[in-house]
Amino acid sequence: MATISVPLIGGRAVEGKRFGISDILRWTVDHKVIGIQYMLTASFFFIVGGALAMLIRWELLTPTLDIMADGQQYNQLFSIHGTVMIFLWIVPMMAGFGNYLLPLMLGAKDMAFPWLNAFAFWLIPPAGILMLMGWFVGQAEAGWTSYPPLSTLYSLDGQTLWAMSLHLLGLSSILGAVNFIVTIKNMRPVGMGYFQMPLFVWAILATSIIILMATPFLAGALTLLILDRVVGTQFFNPAQGGDVLLWQNVFWFYSHPAVYIMVLPAFGILSEVLSVHARKPIFGYRAIALSSLAIALVGFTVWAHHMFTSLTPELRIPFMITSMIIAVPTGIKVFSWLGTLFMGKIRFTSAMLFGLGFLSMFVIGGISGVMLASVPYNIHVHDTYFVVSHLHFVLYGGSVFGIYAGLYHWFPKISGRMLDERLGRLHFIVTYISFFFTFFPQHILGMSGMPRRVAVYAPEYQSLNVVVSIASFILGISTFILIWNVIVSLRAGKRASANPWRALTLEWATSSPPPVTNFIGDPVPYRNPYGYGSESANAYLNALESAYGPSEHPSPDAPKAIKPAPAAGD
Amino acid sequence: MNAEHSLSRDERIALQNRKTGITVFQISWIMVFVCLCIVNLQIRSNFPSWPPAGVAALDRILPTIATLALIASGVTTQRGVKGDLVTQWRIALGLGIVFTLIMFAQWVTVDTGGLGAQYGTIFRVMVAYHAVHAVVIGWIMWGVVKKAARGDYADGNPLKTWIIEGAARLWYFVIAAWVLFYIVLYIV
Repeated sequence: MATISVPLIGGRAVEGKRFGISDILRWTVDHKVIGIQYMLTASFFFIVGGALAMLIRWELLTPTLDIMADGQQYNQLFSIHGTVMIFLWIVPMMAGFGNYLLPLMLGAKDMAFPWLNAFAFWLIPPAGILMLMGWFVGQAEAGWTSYPPLSTLYSLDGQTLWAMSLHLLGLSSILGAVNFIVTIKNMRPVGMGYFQMPLFVWAILATSIIILMATPFLAGALTLLILDRVVGTQFFNPAQGGDVLLWQNVFWFYSHPAVYIMVLPAFGILSEVLSVHARKPIFGYRAIALSSLAIALVGFTVWAHHMFTSLTPELRIPFMITSMIIAVPTGIKVFSWLGTLFMGKIRFTSAMLFGLGFLSMFVIGGISGVMLASVPYNIHVHDTYFVVSHLHFVLYGGSVFGIYAGLYHWFPKISGRMLDERLGRLHFIVTYISFFFTFFPQHILGMSGMPRRVAVYAPEYQSLNVVVSIASFILGISTFILIWNVIVSLRAGKRASANPWRALTLEWATSSPPPVTNFIGDPVPYRNPYGYGSESANAYLNALESAYGPSEHPSPDAPKAIKPAPAAGD
Repeated sequence: MNAEHSLSRDERIALQNRKTGITVFQISWIMVFVCLCIVNLQIRSNFPSWPPAGVAALDRILPTIATLALIASGVTTQRGVKGDLVTQWRIALGLGIVFTLIMFAQWVTVDTGGLGAQYGTIFRVMVAYHAVHAVVIGWIMWGVVKKAARGDYADGNPLKTWIIEGAARLWYFVIAAWVLFYIVLYIV
């Protein structure tokens, strides 16, 4: 007879006061509040970066200069758009998910170093302000990659602020990663080995390893850039014996792994969402977990594929091979997710829809990535819109769709309210279609030869650019459906029970939102976090429901005879 | 070990977190030093000879003495952790000061103009970056020595005495990072 683990339930904890705006603005060491602070700060910068994207697409409606005074102004736009979206939106947003969820998933009261956690977060607002202050002194205009000599000889003082800002953000990332790794290593509950951890925790572990090993290289590169700009050293000036490729090597040694910093947590989110909403055990748990580590490892061997046009020719093939190899662990994940969905009892919730959207769009980005890994093709489409399309399929179709899936999945836990599912589905449909028509035609533009990072282009590219721009405006508007949904649901949304999706991971074994100490007593994890459909899993979930109230969405595997109990606050 | 057993479960986890945390942070931070070594190697790869023709090579004798002094400070630091912390760490700090002064002298006199621009400036960046760590961590050790002299660690509370192990580990980091730099700057 199977042993049935049930959570140790002390009682339902109810917060004395509601989470308010003052909580966001104050110093706190509670990982949940810090997680929300990360998410809200990142969301603010998402709006900023999105507004810049809208201006870019507005400018590109016609082949000539329209709203920009000159190309320099356009350079500033796309430079800050890229930097903000990467360093101030996706990276901190993933850190927000990690901060909020990790201790809960591990049954811990907080992170290993709560004070350090708060300090890491509070480095971000000043870094963001520093970045935007560039517009008062001549904004950075060398792209988010900031290649010298553009970033040394031509950019104005905003480029120095850009580098200082990234220094702060890098330090924040490293401190956060140290916290995550120590928390995972030392604070797992009794009965939870590494291979009983939720896959989101595995993803955060792999991400943290990348941050730890790669971000110091960014710090090194930025230090040299600042010295060249401020002190007058000549590290990147070939006329004085310096080397522009030095920046490219060191920068990409960080920045290619940084792609996985942005997408691995989204992989983790996807693993949680697909399994819970398909009511099926995850297919290939160990393969998914270990492939995250494989991606982290191989990710360090591919950086020079960003430099195929400037790289010593004999090094191209080795980097082409490693770049293609990294598709293998990613492919293992994709097929494992498909295996999870196969024959599942799929519930098309908003979270699941965005999960499926992620899966489909990320695969397109992955395939175009393999195309770009091929040297001849890479040289053909170098610095064209094909590259823009590829990176947006990965970072929007992958990371941002993953963030959306995670928000719909965990919003009930964070806020104690359900998001409106009808608005959620509308959000998905509008986002999915407009996303596709924003970025897919850019493949064609790129293959036709339209260069990236130009405000003035050949007239024959205009018709597709109009399609792209209109779709992008709709994509921009679609974001406000989510914002509206959040506002409405926070004010009048249906109250969420502890475990609205009947999920097995530990963050659902406490009230929504959780009390300050996260759990009353020490929670007992179910031995398989994805063991849906088994008798013992149902017993575990029933025990949770009898303590906290029933799920809002009874699943096909839920017993029929549960007596409805009033949800918290009803 | 017995003292650690007297701690509550939460205290034991907190202590373990600190130990793991410092190790993890060191693994990360050493990568900045590795990065600067790679920068040095890439810059010199652009020159037919290193130092560039016409530029005087750095003197090796004094830095070697400085390096030996720094390694010796590691030995006394370790002895201090095991016992007689105040005396041994004062010796360690003295050796650290000898190291810093020698390297400061070379930092000031290295040629950074004309042909020696790259040779001198990358040397200065690396040495200065290391020196910042040496000074800050030396300062932390000095704080530990003062507290030990006052008897603050006499009760053997692991949550207090942990700082001794922590500061020692940071000093070993300073030594390991310098050995890496020494190899790149003076041997390779």
